Amino acid sequence: MKRREFISLMSVAVGWPLAVRAQQPALPVIGFLNSRSSDVDASFLTAFHKGLAETGFVEGHNVTIEYRWAKGRYDQLPAMAAELVRKSVAVLVSTGGTVAAKAAKAVTRTIPVVFTTADDPVKVGLVDSLSRPGGNLTGITALFIEAASKRLELLHELLPRASTIGLLVNPTNPATLIESSVVQSAARGHRVEILSVSTDRAFEDLKQKQVDALLIAADPFLFARADQLVALAARQAIPTLYFRSEFAQAGGLISFGSNFADFFRVIGLYAGQILRGAKPSGLPVQQPTKFELVINLKTAKALGLTVPPSLLSQADEVIE
Amino acid sequence: MSVQRLRFHGLFRKYFLVLFLAVVIPLAANGISEAWFGYRDQRARLDQLLGVEARSAAARIQGFLDDITGQLGWLVQLPWTGELDERRRIDALRLLRQVPAIVSLTLVDGSGRERLYVSRIGLNRTESHTDRSGEPAIIGARSARLWYGEVSYYRGSEPYLTVAISGNRPSVGAVVAEVNLKLIWDVISSIRVGQTGYAFVLDSPGRLIAHPDISLVLRGADEATLAPFQAARQAVGPTSAGFATSHDAEGSPIAVAAAPIPGPDWTIVVEQPLTEAFGPIYAALWRTGVLLLGGALFAGLLAYALARRMTQPIRLLEEGTERIGAGQFDHLIEIRTGDELQRLADSFNAMAAELAVSQERQERIAKLKRFLAPQVAELVDRKGDDGVLEGRRTEVVVVFCDLRGFTAFSARAAPEEVMSVLSEYYDALGAIITRYAATLTSFSGDGLMVLVNAPVPVDEPAVRAVDLAVEMQVSVQELIVGWRERGYRIGFGVGLAMGPATVGRIGYENRFDYTAIGSVVNLAARLCASASDSEILVDATAAEAVKDKRHVHPIGMRLIKGYDEEFLVYCVGFTQRPQAS
Repeated sequence: MKRREFISLMSVAVGWPLAVRAQQPALPVIGFLNSRSSDVDASFLTAFHKGLAETGFVEGHNVTIEYRWAKGRYDQLPAMAAELVRKSVAVLVSTGGTVAAKAAKAVTRTIPVVFTTADDPVKVGLVDSLSRPGGNLTGITALFIEAASKRLELLHELLPRASTIGLLVNPTNPATLIESSVVQSAARGHRVEILSVSTDRAFEDLKQKQVDALLIAADPFLFARADQLVALAARQAIPTLYFRSEFAQAGGLISFGSNFADFFRVIGLYAGQILRGAKPSGLPVQQPTKFELVINLKTAKALGLTVPPSLLSQADEVIE
Repeated sequence: MSVQRLRFHGLFRKYFLVLFLAVVIPLAANGISEAWFGYRDQRARLDQLLGVEARSAAARIQGFLDDITGQLGWLVQLPWTGELDERRRIDALRLLRQVPAIVSLTLVDGSGRERLYVSRIGLNRTESHTDRSGEPAIIGARSARLWYGEVSYYRGSEPYLTVAISGNRPSVGAVVAEVNLKLIWDVISSIRVGQTGYAFVLDSPGRLIAHPDISLVLRGADEATLAPFQAARQAVGPTSAGFATSHDAEGSPIAVAAAPIPGPDWTIVVEQPLTEAFGPIYAALWRTGVLLLGGALFAGLLAYALARRMTQPIRLLEEGTERIGAGQFDHLIEIRTGDELQRLADSFNAMAAELAVSQERQERIAKLKRFLAPQVAELVDRKGDDGVLEGRRTEVVVVFCDLRGFTAFSARAAPEEVMSVLSEYYDALGAIITRYAATLTSFSGDGLMVLVNAPVPVDEPAVRAVDLAVEMQVSVQELIVGWRERGYRIGFGVGLAMGPATVGRIGYENRFDYTAIGSVVNLAARLCASASDSEILVDATAAEAVKDKRHVHPIGMRLIKGYDEEFLVYCVGFTQRPQAS
């Protein structure tokens, strides 16, 4: 066989399967935008895939997912959202707080967006109403911020004598302002000190400001730093109430908030339904119904606290 | 032919139709009745099934509510005395934990004042002493012990129900609970009707309270979303008797049944796609259809084969009779059906054989009649063989006769006249030959040769031959009178001789003649030639044979042409019949 013939044959043999692969219909692409990192949201991802599977979609099999992790750098979210829109994804799943949802809303008015938010999505302008989102956005709200006053109440029940409550916030998250005002209006005679994580000395300020107990504001970045926060609280021996059960499970004293990991399934479900042709404007924004109170008795013992039975009776999980 | 073909097809079609219908009609009747009864049974079964599903689903929804009210009952057992005690507060908080659907609880004392409010998300209140006695929940609970409010939508999305329950005496007060109905989803989504059917709950104004697709419920009071559900409930009607058909949101037909949930006055509707609900009957219909089609096909084949089997012998008979009719008597109609048709065919065959024999005889007689007297021909035929015509040597009397002066006449006269004379001449002679049962061997022009005593022997052949000759002379002489009047000079002479001769058939293919060969023939011919008009010359042998019976007289020795010596020749005397004129 002459060399030229051989080469042309080889190119046919190599080129043919490529051509066949190119002819296959392209899988629908889901853009997955997250303000944190993949290791933090692993349990959420599992729930998300479970929701997708309920509508018959399996990643890599009949759907492709493009992940973008901002790793706490919220300023990168708009660029990442824009990049996913340029890739003309079928659905843009924007998770990890209102910041990510807003970044997604800012870059597209046509591509369906499924968001998660801790705020009231109507108040922050993501949707027209919960029952009829109206635009190209729908999703779930964790109601973390709505539960902020309840967290303060629980903290008061745990520590009836605490007069100064600290609220640790992430000032880059606009939800901070809302949560601060909610907590302050529910304070009823308590003094609320707002502490910002942007200052390195946030925890050093605790003693100086005579803070008796600490609330952690609902914020994706703060959640991403859960272990650090729990360690700092332990070092400062400050009773702290968190917004997600993961904190208490990691050694935090007490947490109250919706079971978000389980709720994350709805995001996958909605993304799948939209891929099947549903309009986001017709998919109501869902609210959690399950709120979990988790008390870590080991931490309480370390802090020398006695948890009243009224609290223990309400606890969904007690870590001993 | 075409008419016959038409009739034949008609018979085939008749047989085919009768046989086909005989199979198909009972088959179809059976299939259709089975399908009809199957359909009715399936409807009845569906009625029952959906009814049971609806009632059991209603019971489960009622169970969900009863569970809540049962739990609430714990809170209205102790009378209110003095301050709110811690245990009552803890009980309320524990209840919140125990029943996830309850969003908030309001405990009211005997005078209708709020003593405790605990909420899942909102802030708790204690001892607010707000007067709630005027609220419908408290009034309702006081009058009926258990009161269900209207469904409202929290933030326009989640359906909430207010449930109020009072204790068995006024002093224990009442409890008002806000229930998040979204949690019915756990119950409603576990209800499956058949494979893909499900249930949903509507309240009395027709709002959707529970549906396996929670997003439909969360849309709140949305007319477009609710329309198909309300239509489904409307289709069932208020009596809830049996199932009805309606259309779901996608417009597909569904079977629906409903049952009331008496507590909050809701209705649960179960629905199943009609294709699935009637799946078994569709399958049965399909099966029946296929069987019917198969049956019809089989019946068609059977009818075709049978009709063919039945008409085939008839067709063979028809064809056979046609061929026999056309003269093909050797045609055999072969039918081996072992029934009347075979018998008919056999008799046709026998008939054809007889016809063949008969025709053959007819043909033979016709052939024999050409040279034999008809009665001789009949005789030969009756004997069954023409052995008599075989060549043999026998004693015969040969009679020759011809017209005198005919050659000259025929040269002068017009052909019509010649033919007319010959016609009269042969008519006369033919009748006589036939009467005397003599054998005409040949004729040419005006002369003819007749044999007596061959092929069939007769008594006294010489006498008969002489009488024949006399008769001929008499008849022809009568004709001659007429001819002479017309100016034709024609005479008639006869010669006959008796002696042994070889007789038999000569000729080729179908052209056979019966003739005699021998000197007696020559002699007779010579005698005829030498006979003058109205003379009958006879040889000695013949004369000897008739001498006592007929009048013959010798006319002396005559030298006959072809013979060396002279013969004594006799002349037959006869009297002419008196002239008619």
